[in-house]
Amino acid sequence: MSEQIFESAILITGFLLIISGCYCLIRTYHMIKIIIGIEVAMKAVSMFIILSGYISGNEDLAQTFVITSIVIEVVVAVVAAGIAINLYRKYGSMDIRNLTKLKG
Amino acid sequence: MRVIANIQMVANIAVLFFVIPLAIIAVNTLLPKKLAGRVSFYLGGFAGIMQAAAAAADFFLLSANRLHEYEFSLLWDLSIEGSERFSVDSLSLVMLFCIGMVTIVSVLVAKQTVHDRKRAYVNLLMTLILGMNGMVLVTDLFSLYVFLEVVGLSSFILIAMFKTDTGLEGAFKYLVMSVMATVFMLTGLAFIFMQTGSLQYKHVGMNVLRFQSHSQSVLIYAALILLISGFAIKTGAVPFHSWLPDAHQSANTAISILLSGIVIKVAGIYGFIVLVDLFNEVPAINMTVAVIGTVSIITGALLAMQQNHFKRIVAYSSVSQVGYILLGISTGSTLGLLGTVVHIFNHATFKSALFSNAAALHEQVGSLDINEMGGLEKRMPVTAFSSVTAFLSTTGIPPFAGFWSKLLIIMALWKSNMQVFAGIALVASIFTAAYFLRIQKKVFFGKLPDKYENLTEVKGTVKFAEIMLSVVTILTGVFFPLALLYLKGRGII
Repeated sequence: MSEQIFESAILITGFLLIISGCYCLIRTYHMIKIIIGIEVAMKAVSMFIILSGYISGNEDLAQTFVITSIVIEVVVAVVAAGIAINLYRKYGSMDIRNLTKLKG
Repeated sequence: MRVIANIQMVANIAVLFFVIPLAIIAVNTLLPKKLAGRVSFYLGGFAGIMQAAAAAADFFLLSANRLHEYEFSLLWDLSIEGSERFSVDSLSLVMLFCIGMVTIVSVLVAKQTVHDRKRAYVNLLMTLILGMNGMVLVTDLFSLYVFLEVVGLSSFILIAMFKTDTGLEGAFKYLVMSVMATVFMLTGLAFIFMQTGSLQYKHVGMNVLRFQSHSQSVLIYAALILLISGFAIKTGAVPFHSWLPDAHQSANTAISILLSGIVIKVAGIYGFIVLVDLFNEVPAINMTVAVIGTVSIITGALLAMQQNHFKRIVAYSSVSQVGYILLGISTGSTLGLLGTVVHIFNHATFKSALFSNAAALHEQVGSLDINEMGGLEKRMPVTAFSSVTAFLSTTGIPPFAGFWSKLLIIMALWKSNMQVFAGIALVASIFTAAYFLRIQKKVFFGKLPDKYENLTEVKGTVKFAEIMLSVVTILTGVFFPLALLYLKGRGII
């Protein structure tokens, strides 16, 4: 019984983290905050993978998946930050409301 | 004995799909800077040609041996349980051939549009190819995701690398949407993993509906929704299309060719093919994919009619054409899959041709606003001809290649009792004709403005790419009935 409570707790925490990450994507206008939101959501996903490995009894496979996904996450964060820095140099601010060149 | 030797050859050639891009990256990085400026493009073109040749050779070897698919590994032992397996089959070989072809076109166009950072362009191109090759060769969902990220990351950098305002903006929008796709997909994968304990295609396909308890089927449906949303974002299908025109318009034209010609198909459509194949026992999936496809066809075409930027119209046209491909996948039948594959090839051809025209116009006219142009047919006959062939093929006018693939898709829809969708697909061709006629009229027909009196035809590699793609479109169209006869002999239609 306590195991089930533990699993549901992780599942619910994960969903809350994903929702907060997506909320961050939608409601903030600052690029760095958007990148932070992305990272928060990705962390929740890593947690799901660990949980599913635990439930299906394949912890070793889950660990390899999580390590790989962490590496990918870091690369995504680096590329996103690189683009954000270049946009900051162009516009002098990190506000995404400046990005209005492409429309239609 | 000879047959066994041939089978070994299949694997030896298939390893090239990983070796060529890696070797080119190594050579290109180690070259001295001066030499790299001159040689890089040749290296990139060489990789494209080798890829197309290897895919064609493997295709014929595979069918000569009457094999359906062939599994291989790079350096490890396949007999160890849980080791990663790559597999080549006819579908993945056609995709690999398309990748090679679009790479060649991209390098040809880049020779005239990319003036600095040539080495970086070729290196990123090779990573992109590596990612796409990996995606079509792997046999488990997590590796599919890893290679998908390789493709995605290379595309972000390729869009942003020239540091124009629009390029950075398009790349940032693409990146944010893509990360949403990643989150959806990985959550879906985690749910499937929870259910099956493995992500290899064969285990997923067998185990997915074995457990019939309520909570478990809820989990599988949730995973399916998340995976479909993720791949739909990567494909740029409506309602997740917002990033696609931005990214494809803002990138350098050589890179738009790659993105529109092949990346959306390998990263998104191939994912859909795998999903429909794995989850074919879930009845809802066919209808879902069909509805996404239909909405994409109509919305993409309607949005394309309102645009004034040449590349943006062509990008919205991709949204619309991807809809046809999704409709073909949704049938789940062999005929539908065949139509899909042929349409993927045709779309790669005519979309590359249209973007080459965009490159030609950008080089000669200097702008891509279609309201400023007119009557360019007299000054740029090759570009006009290639654009008209590509447009007729997109619309599906008989002798051209696009007609046959659309015909196959509509036949497949009709045979699998989806007549409503077949009707919509047929009628929506009129929309395709509408927005392309608008481009043709505004750009190539009509009166030539006085300021373009001294305009000349584009020269060099872009012209060559245009001619090559027109020839491919026309030849595919003219000789396709032979392929149909062969299929009829095999009893597929």
